[in-house]
Amino acid sequence: MAVAEKPLYYLSIHEAQQLIKDRQLSPVELTQAVLDRASAIDNKLHAYINLMADSAMSEARAAAAEIQAGHWRGAMHGIPIAVKDQLDVEGAPARIRQFTKGVGDATAVRKLRDAGAVIMGKLHMSSLPDAELPLPRNPWNTDHITGGSSTGSGAAVAGGLCLGSLGEDTAGSIRNPSAFCGLAGLKGTYGRVSRYGLAPLSWSLDHCGPMARVVEDLAHMLNTIAGYDPKDPTSSSTLVDDYTSALREDIKGIVVGVPRDYIDECAPRTDPVVLKLVGEAVEALKSLGARIEDVKVPTLRLATIANAVIYYNEFWAAHKNGAAEVLNTGAPQRRARIYLGLLTGSADYIQAQRIRSRCRAELAEVFGKVNCLALPNQAGPAPRVKDVGPIDTLFKHVVPEYHGPFNLTGLPTLSVPCGFSPNNLPIALQLVAKPFDEVTVLRAGYTYQQHMKWHERRPPI
Amino acid sequence: MNKLIAEHLMAVLKREGLQPRPGDLEQFSEIIELYVENLKQLHSVNLGADELAPVFRPEWTGK
Repeated sequence: MAVAEKPLYYLSIHEAQQLIKDRQLSPVELTQAVLDRASAIDNKLHAYINLMADSAMSEARAAAAEIQAGHWRGAMHGIPIAVKDQLDVEGAPARIRQFTKGVGDATAVRKLRDAGAVIMGKLHMSSLPDAELPLPRNPWNTDHITGGSSTGSGAAVAGGLCLGSLGEDTAGSIRNPSAFCGLAGLKGTYGRVSRYGLAPLSWSLDHCGPMARVVEDLAHMLNTIAGYDPKDPTSSSTLVDDYTSALREDIKGIVVGVPRDYIDECAPRTDPVVLKLVGEAVEALKSLGARIEDVKVPTLRLATIANAVIYYNEFWAAHKNGAAEVLNTGAPQRRARIYLGLLTGSADYIQAQRIRSRCRAELAEVFGKVNCLALPNQAGPAPRVKDVGPIDTLFKHVVPEYHGPFNLTGLPTLSVPCGFSPNNLPIALQLVAKPFDEVTVLRAGYTYQQHMKWHERRPPI
Repeated sequence: MNKLIAEHLMAVLKREGLQPRPGDLEQFSEIIELYVENLKQLHSVNLGADELAPVFRPEWTGK
């Protein structure tokens, strides 16, 4: 679809920034279009828990004036972005914090503000203590869930209620809603994006990252939010690439590894349509010049449970001082995590860390031979709301599946749409690279997306 | 819920000065039993002399 034919709220960040830079589109006009869209359909999607319309328009007017005066700050200037509740925003601390204070703006939010982005508001996430909040609905079919825990981010980006979102991923929480809602989502390398101002679930597994409608937009957002932050002790000082300019190099000759044994391990719990479409996506990468090789990573079969053990034990430690309150007023998922963390012994936690080390060593060897891994992102299309229980996600965390291993190993991992189920729900491919090689997964995902054009479909809402 | 698991959980809750929310142990019994069962798998792998390495991010400089 040509840019001129699109509603403004469905422009990609890349398209919008070019129009804004050329002064063919005002941030005020764009922000108003997104706010109007939210007014029109968020009563069906329930993405926002705090739509900050007044401050967003004020920021948009400031951006417009600055650009009009010849001071265009860069690609994010005047772009409407919304934020998962888990990240603090000045004046709107994370509601998921039940007993700790926010920090003002999380570093990733501050970097977006410094780049001139318009902060639209806070988005719903799984397990909020406000039980009366309605669950976000999937724009592709509002009888279905968005996936979580970045629930509102999935609904908002897919529905045109913002152009991109900051999400967070501890065991798939960026990639799962990206897959279910037909978005591009990136969990960068652990340490690539600051966690400062993120309400913790698990310190060593939490990753902040971007969600958008196209891979190119992830590159724009990552260019803005990546980098060392002295406020986050695990932030990396590794140099930040220019992710957008690296996209357009072709993928001829790159080697894509397929962890076939691990996919087989997960296959009994995976919908055949996912395996079929991911297989076709791998073939498409081959047709674009990649070489495909099967690889073995034996310890992956234990990586999901190791991820869960570390997750729940660190969750318990992070919430110990407020555990009574969580047990009294917290959502079922949070209460269950407290119980599971309490049942995890020190030997279990240490064994999980040893498995993490072994898994990383095996993957390091594999990445000596291949540039990235390709595997499914989800077990099936988004389920119906009525078929999902309050703690179903936890079952996914304790049997081999596709997300946890890459939180455990901290590797950069991209979700990119690779087709649709027979009932028109999105399915996604997952691409994984070695530490700090976000460029490779973004380039492969971008090339694939430009070839297949799944991103040009729009949800029927 | 498995009696041993329930007793263990109640003991650690008591140690921490906590009480389960009424109905939680029944509601969560399936996930708790599955989790405890799968914990055993963690110890099924032979890691030989592998030690706990500070490998979370090899490039980490400790800044």
